[in-house]
Amino acid sequence: MPIKRSVLRARIENAGEVIGSLWPLRTFNAANPLAGFEDQPFDQAVDRARKLFGGRPYPRPATFRQAWENGEINPALLTRRLEAHGITDPPAALLERMAADDPPGDTSPADEPLDRLMTKWLAAFLDQGQADWPMPNREEGFYAAWRSVAPYDHDGPPVDSPSDLPPTLLDAFENVLTAYPEGQWESIFVQHLAALPGWVGFIKWRAQQDDHPWQAAYPISLADYLAVRLTLAKRMGRAIAPDDAEELPANGTTRPRLPALWLRAWEESYRRRLLDDLSAAADASGADEDDERPAAQMVFCIDVRSEVLRRHLEATGPYQTFGYAGFFGVPMQHERYDGVRVKSCPPIVNPRHRIAERPAPDRETQAATYDGWRRWGEAGRSLVKTLKHNVAAAFGFVEGSGGLFGAALAARTLLPSALFRATEAADARVPGPDHFCAPTVDRVPEADAEGPLPVGLSPEAKVTYAEAAFRLMGWTDTFAPVVVFTGHGCQTPNNPYKASLDCGACAGNPGGPNARVLAAICNDPDVREALRERGIDIPDDTTFVAGQHNTTTDEVTLFADPDEVEGASDTIRRLQADLETAQAETAAERVEHFRADRPDAPVDEVQRRAADWAETRPEWGLAGNAAFIVAPRRLTRDLNLNGRCFLHAYDWRSDAEGTALENIMTGPMVVGEWINTQYYFSTVDNAAYGSGSKVTQNVEGKVGVVQGNGGDLMSGLPLQSLRTDDVHVQHRPLRLLTLIQAPVGRVDAILERQNTLAQLLDNEWMALAVMDPEQDNTILRYRPGGEWTPDAAESAAPASAAG
Amino acid sequence: MSDDTTYEPTEHTLHPLKKIEIIVRGEKEEFVRELLDDSGVSGYTIHRDVAGRGEHGFHEGRLLFNDRAGLVMFFAVAEEEVIQGIVDGLTPLFEKSSGVMFVSDTQVVRLDKFLGEEDEAGGAA
Repeated sequence: MPIKRSVLRARIENAGEVIGSLWPLRTFNAANPLAGFEDQPFDQAVDRARKLFGGRPYPRPATFRQAWENGEINPALLTRRLEAHGITDPPAALLERMAADDPPGDTSPADEPLDRLMTKWLAAFLDQGQADWPMPNREEGFYAAWRSVAPYDHDGPPVDSPSDLPPTLLDAFENVLTAYPEGQWESIFVQHLAALPGWVGFIKWRAQQDDHPWQAAYPISLADYLAVRLTLAKRMGRAIAPDDAEELPANGTTRPRLPALWLRAWEESYRRRLLDDLSAAADASGADEDDERPAAQMVFCIDVRSEVLRRHLEATGPYQTFGYAGFFGVPMQHERYDGVRVKSCPPIVNPRHRIAERPAPDRETQAATYDGWRRWGEAGRSLVKTLKHNVAAAFGFVEGSGGLFGAALAARTLLPSALFRATEAADARVPGPDHFCAPTVDRVPEADAEGPLPVGLSPEAKVTYAEAAFRLMGWTDTFAPVVVFTGHGCQTPNNPYKASLDCGACAGNPGGPNARVLAAICNDPDVREALRERGIDIPDDTTFVAGQHNTTTDEVTLFADPDEVEGASDTIRRLQADLETAQAETAAERVEHFRADRPDAPVDEVQRRAADWAETRPEWGLAGNAAFIVAPRRLTRDLNLNGRCFLHAYDWRSDAEGTALENIMTGPMVVGEWINTQYYFSTVDNAAYGSGSKVTQNVEGKVGVVQGNGGDLMSGLPLQSLRTDDVHVQHRPLRLLTLIQAPVGRVDAILERQNTLAQLLDNEWMALAVMDPEQDNTILRYRPGGEWTPDAAESAAPASAAG
Repeated sequence: MSDDTTYEPTEHTLHPLKKIEIIVRGEKEEFVRELLDDSGVSGYTIHRDVAGRGEHGFHEGRLLFNDRAGLVMFFAVAEEEVIQGIVDGLTPLFEKSSGVMFVSDTQVVRLDKFLGEEDEAGGAA
């Protein structure tokens, strides 16, 4: 019977759910590698994923030992949990037992000839401009292109001519699938997709991009991948269908395993401490309302790294800080001055505007100077590339220029701090686009034709984004003379994972451009007038400024010249000085977590890390993230949260309908869960869900990294972003706890409307607690199933499947 | 004003066809669009961010910061055979993802607008 194309397509779509999308390196996005399993309870999902991908479900015993020895696991909580499951052995003995039961190391990939062939052809087909000799016939699609070259592949099964192979995709499927009932197709597809989750995740991502130039030129889909793989598998006599197609029992395994219990005890120990601290802070801060006008207010990304800097900045003077998603609510594509366009909003948001950097009217001379230097630089780079790649010139070139390259190499390796200062000095002499460009915030209809998105923002859109920002943060009065929107980005050379350290809310790009857009909107008198009509009264003497927090050095750059900001010059100068103090304090706190060369000079240390091309740990990124707090800063200001909490500003009093909260919970909180699960899985099994050691990584086709010279694309984070050494972790793999200060009924109503959120909680991918201000700030915990219980009743609750 | 052209009497004959309405989560919009593009329908309409009550409670319309969780509604009109092809492609999908479809009888005046081009054989699956 011929196969129906529409049915086949649906079966492939369903099977593809088990593989998470993998973004290309340059816009690396945090995502749950097991996103396709979120409709199942956590314990069941990690178990199935272990069967499919071979990944560990829970932290290694050595990680629990580290937490236990550090006192991060409360012994009473642990004992209670164990006893509830009839386990009475002492924790030390259990650690021994877990270690003895545990297979050593992470998963190691199997060397399967079929995988080797597939990765060879996928790497050739998906190359995005790295190869000098590209694969031929790519414009016909992956299956057709492979079919045309398969006769020349002597590593694979013998093929005399392309006509030996099925002519179309559909024929290829028919050739293999007619032997199997439709009901078995999905399990066949799942098995073959799961064999190479990295490449398949990337194909899944690329096939969903409407305007991706490489996808438009050289199309590939999961169907292409499966057609090639199944055709090869049949010719090589490999298994088509999985041996063990039966499903796990719906309730998962029968007996809770020790690591699952230990994980829950560890999580609960952290959460308990945090919630106790927050309760105490709520009691202390109850009456003290701060109505006095601060000198300046700064809005930072919700990113856990902001918390450390905010705390130190607040200590320097009369400043208030806020947390908001780092794309500042502007769903935009950013066109840089060099013409490159990048998405600059979260993975779950589609860009709706293109914002281009154009030289500001009074800065054209600076732009011309910069252009001149840039042309020289480009000409030089292009010459060097030609000389290096030209067979005849390469030897002579190396001979003649080797000394220079050697000196540059030596400088980068031996004198990274000097290099940092030299780069800063060069930037000061020839200021970059940040200094002379302004974003096209107003509509530029004549530029629309250059791309799929309208350029600039309509007056209505401007008001919408400004109002959304202040409503979500619950900030409708008390505006300081200077308000800074601060994006963030990292500084790290020679690092394919740079995007993982940039702003997750800006699709792995620095957030400065979005900050500039929102600042420009808020300075627009028409926008201010419209906001005033909507009850947000921004005084005339308030100026909005944009800035960017360099998370590697903790320096904050303000995109404003104090001399040019009327009436606020002194405030800005003082703020700049205080930001320097805050930088020093933050760096001092952070270097304690590094094996620092210069612990005595923290700022030098972090600057050296930002410039050193051999540094595998320029910064710790979001390692440590464990909680998400949705509340006014008042609640957390006096606490040291150790850079482990996402902080979103929110005021329950100005959001009676719960609209702002609903947007926070469906947007930033979901992104927080994606980041947290990525860190969790990359830490518990770095080979299956992370990307292994940076030392042996190679960039493949400009799209991803592989280990060594080939194989599957690695997903997730590198080892050095998570671990201090082979035994110790820097990132504590705990699932995210969200704490919201709001009436419990409001939160419950949102969960009622947003089924996917309730599902994340019921299946324990994250946890939720509410501090109810209408019940004297009592803390209530959400239990899987939808029940709310007072915090203290933890031990009484029979709780979760394995807990 | 003189006009000596003679007009044919306009006929408002109604032709029976089938209509399909499909509601899926935003993340499946791409899949449904490709299915429709490939099915032979001459065109379709998309409503994004629709609201309503379903098996999983009340669904709000547009969320500010999440384009995947919203609901998308499609409708298309075509001959029964074409609609059947779409139903075949959606039935397996709804085993895994949430969504609904309704097929009903409908009538159109300008039949030629709704007869799609012949399905090309052997394209991408």
